[in-house]
Amino acid sequence: MKRFTFASAAIASAIAAPIVLQAARPHYGGTLRIEMPGVIRTFDPAASPADAAESAARARVLPLVFETLVAADVSGGLRPQLATSWEGDRAGQRWRFRIRDGVTLHDGSRLQAVQVAAALRARDRAWKIGVDGDVVVIEPDRALADFPWELADARNAIAIRTATGDLVGSGPFRLEPTEPRRIMLGAHEDYWGGRPFVDTVQIAEGRALGDALASLELGRADFVPVRPIDLRRLVQRGLRSAGSRPLETFVLVFEPHRALPSDQRVRRVVATAIDRATLSTVLLQRQSEAAAAVLPPWLSGYASMFQSAAPPSGYAPARTEVSSLPPEQRTLTLRVDAADPLAQAIAERIAVDVREAGITIKVQAPAGLAPRPDVRLVRLTFDATTADRVLAAIVGALGTRVISLATSEVPPGVGAPLDAVYRMERALVERDVIVPVVHLPALYGLGERVESWGGPAVWPSGAWNLANIWLRSDAPTEKADRPDR
Amino acid sequence: MTLRTRLVALVSATVTVTVVLVTSAVSSSARRAFASLDAQRTAALVAQFRREFEIDAEQIAAGIERLAGSDAVLHTAGDLARSRADRAAYVNEATSLAAAQGLDILDLVTDEGTIVSSAQWPARFGYRHSWANAAAAGAGAFLQPVELPGETALGLVAVRKVAAGAGGLLVAGGRRLDRSFLQTLAPPAGTRALLYRNLEPAGSGHQLIDASGRVAQPAPFVPLIARVRESGREASDAIDGPDGSETVTAIPLKGRDGSVLGALLVASSGRELAALVSRIRWSGVAFGALGLATGFLLSYVVAARVTRPVEQLAESSRTVARGDWDAALDAVPGVHASGEIEELARAFEAMTRQLVDQRERLIQTERVAAWRELARRLAHELKNPLFPLRVTIDNLRRAKTLAGAEFDEVFDESVATMTSGLQNLNTVIGRFSDFARMPPPQFAAVSPNDVVRESVRLFRAQLDAPGRPAIALTVDLDESIGTIRADAEQLGRAVQNLLLNAIDAMPSGGELAIRTRRVADSGDAGDAGGAVRIDVSDTGEGLTDEERQRLFTPYYTTKQHGTGLGLAIVQSVVADHAGKIWVESERGRGATFHIEIPQTPA
Repeated sequence: MKRFTFASAAIASAIAAPIVLQAARPHYGGTLRIEMPGVIRTFDPAASPADAAESAARARVLPLVFETLVAADVSGGLRPQLATSWEGDRAGQRWRFRIRDGVTLHDGSRLQAVQVAAALRARDRAWKIGVDGDVVVIEPDRALADFPWELADARNAIAIRTATGDLVGSGPFRLEPTEPRRIMLGAHEDYWGGRPFVDTVQIAEGRALGDALASLELGRADFVPVRPIDLRRLVQRGLRSAGSRPLETFVLVFEPHRALPSDQRVRRVVATAIDRATLSTVLLQRQSEAAAAVLPPWLSGYASMFQSAAPPSGYAPARTEVSSLPPEQRTLTLRVDAADPLAQAIAERIAVDVREAGITIKVQAPAGLAPRPDVRLVRLTFDATTADRVLAAIVGALGTRVISLATSEVPPGVGAPLDAVYRMERALVERDVIVPVVHLPALYGLGERVESWGGPAVWPSGAWNLANIWLRSDAPTEKADRPDR
Repeated sequence: MTLRTRLVALVSATVTVTVVLVTSAVSSSARRAFASLDAQRTAALVAQFRREFEIDAEQIAAGIERLAGSDAVLHTAGDLARSRADRAAYVNEATSLAAAQGLDILDLVTDEGTIVSSAQWPARFGYRHSWANAAAAGAGAFLQPVELPGETALGLVAVRKVAAGAGGLLVAGGRRLDRSFLQTLAPPAGTRALLYRNLEPAGSGHQLIDASGRVAQPAPFVPLIARVRESGREASDAIDGPDGSETVTAIPLKGRDGSVLGALLVASSGRELAALVSRIRWSGVAFGALGLATGFLLSYVVAARVTRPVEQLAESSRTVARGDWDAALDAVPGVHASGEIEELARAFEAMTRQLVDQRERLIQTERVAAWRELARRLAHELKNPLFPLRVTIDNLRRAKTLAGAEFDEVFDESVATMTSGLQNLNTVIGRFSDFARMPPPQFAAVSPNDVVRESVRLFRAQLDAPGRPAIALTVDLDESIGTIRADAEQLGRAVQNLLLNAIDAMPSGGELAIRTRRVADSGDAGDAGGAVRIDVSDTGEGLTDEERQRLFTPYYTTKQHGTGLGLAIVQSVVADHAGKIWVESERGRGATFHIEIPQTPA
């Protein structure tokens, strides 16, 4: 990736180019202000997050500091990062990664292959890791044909522990001394991919989505996560958005007492009554995709099935189906996360759709203890980039009890053949215990002065492309209402 | 009950009844007056609430009219009228417009009836609207059940159509009739507004709310609400609640089709009225209590003024009864009275003076009679011994001529006769002297039975003397009577005198009975308690009424040779022992003398 150097930018500024040209061309400097809901408690890539919010925050922030050997690219494949090339044996039991030359760590030292090996050993001691010159040789505990994808996981980022015990990385940004609820990242001047445009990234943690959006609108933030229902508001204010491909799936999960065969009809009516197209088009402002399966379309083997889940032309058949059921069976309590307004909005719409089919759904968003619900609206979030890993993540998130209610099949593990993954994907929805609703991307609102060079602000994988973001010195007087994607 | 007590009670009762009657009359009158005022106030409140409701309806209709004419809505309508309009872009439009306009309900609806955006139920987009249509667009505000997530609310809504292109956009909005609406009505103190939303097929108290939320105890209102639901007309009722009675007027709230969709209940609390009546009542009670206290005091003073002279007269009467005539006469002038009581006092004084005069005259008469009796008795007693002396002296004068021997014989006989006569005279004089010198009794514990036995023993020989007509003696003594405080010698003399009288009363023989008994004290003889009675009965000739009345008069006797001092001595002894004596007798049926001595502790 080609970058301007800091010196050339300074020269360019010094020759007093016209303002219009300044606004169109990237330049260095400035502080990118980010607000996000999660709070990162530790920057050790190997540490486990305390909750989902921290997990999401770590997945976005840590790759800015600590790099993996390989990374997912825009096209869905892998691209070199700290490893310039890699190869494995036929069985996938022995892998060789050639470490990039000239990588400077944040403490100014050069990255060595032995340091990479030591970092990986600290991550998983089951692997056999050796060094052959500038090559790191890894023998996983079991044969994995897509082992590089495993190493693309942010948890396997290379964090070098110094003699003082500090962790240093090689990413485009280095950790600066932090304040409570505020992360400060400084530009890594000697980054092997070129110095980032911005000097500093300031990340305010623990900010509610509504507050973050307000900060964006008031010009106090440049980059904040937003919900699909907020996009119209952004557009009205002349702000832009950036997003990933679908990285979240909303599913209805029936509780065990309503997952019985006797409730199959009710579940089927619920599954078919949801007008996913309108939900996706209107409520989610065309930023989502109707879900026919638990895996997102870019991974699913059943994306084409969605046509069968199109909104019903009428609810008369469904009404007929459930009208003979006793009233208590036709009434469902749907629980949603009280802290998730988007989930509540989706749930309310589901209730409206299902009501037309003759089933009453009471949406329950309890702040504390509440009566047992009949069904829950669950938000499944995943960062993995292969179908087997996403499915494994979804299965892990739903839990074995739900999976056992949904299907009698045994979920395939990581590395399972694709046909097994797709078979399981299909089986999960056959009993309508798990009802996919919509797939959602990760969306971000961009401030007026945010521009990107050489790629989107957010990669399709959801990773932040902050190294390529630059800031306008003056906000343009008129901007087009266009998404960044 | 004394006269004073009766007078106090009478006056007090009169005052009490008067106070109670006045208080209750005032309280009743005040209650009626305030009830009338309360009814007028309730009617005014109902009219005021009607006006406020109409004003709210006008404001809502005007607000929707303004909103329909606003740039934002016109822009939206124009945009949606385009052939490839993106309705999704306006899905939250109603929410922001409703927030800006302060509306609870706002729907943007295509002229085909499809909901584009809904503020009160955002998830309803894309579905058909149930009540927003062209027919409703021209009307004013009207009541309408409005569906919300999980419930149905009652709304005061209006619909306006915004023409755009070939079609148009319907703007349907308004306010919920809920507790916030009730709070805006701002009822005056002592009143409250309640709202019943007739949204369920069967009337339910759960749909009744007031400004603070759902009414905790709606049951008392249900009958009134049912009447309004059925009749569709305004109705009123008095409803008792935990805070007292309320006058509730229910105003039916009708929808566009005339159906009753709700009722506005205007409740006027009777608490203020009750408090006022209570204040009046308590004021009445306070004044009544003051009046009663004053009445009691006044009645006491009046009764005292009225009864004091009467009491003084009564005391004077008792003084007279005790024989203290002079003290009574001295006390009467001290009686301060007027009117009839003064006349009574004067009459009492006159009567007392007459009694004193009569007593003086009676004493004088009695004294003269006593002296006459004494003179007659002395003459009689002295005359008998003097006659033999005079005859003896005549014999001696004649015998002076006789020879010495005969003279000596006559002289000796004469000396003996004269000595006997002088002795008789001396005896008579001794008896009178003894009566005059009755000593004061020496009290000691004495058994009356012993006294009786001793006396009977003294007379036993006389009764058993040969040649004497037989007298049967019966002694009946109650051994349980114990002792009394008495002078045994004097008491014995009294018993002996009675026995002697009884024996003298039966010269031809008869029956003599003496008995002792313990009796309840008659109260006249001394302190309350027991007494000992000694009865001496004979079967002699008995006594006439005159004899019985004069029997105890000194020197009065019915005997040929009696001195008339025996029974006087008995009466004196009995009086000295604080006892009493009386006789029961009829002529020809004997007589019974009773002595009763109080049995005071020895």
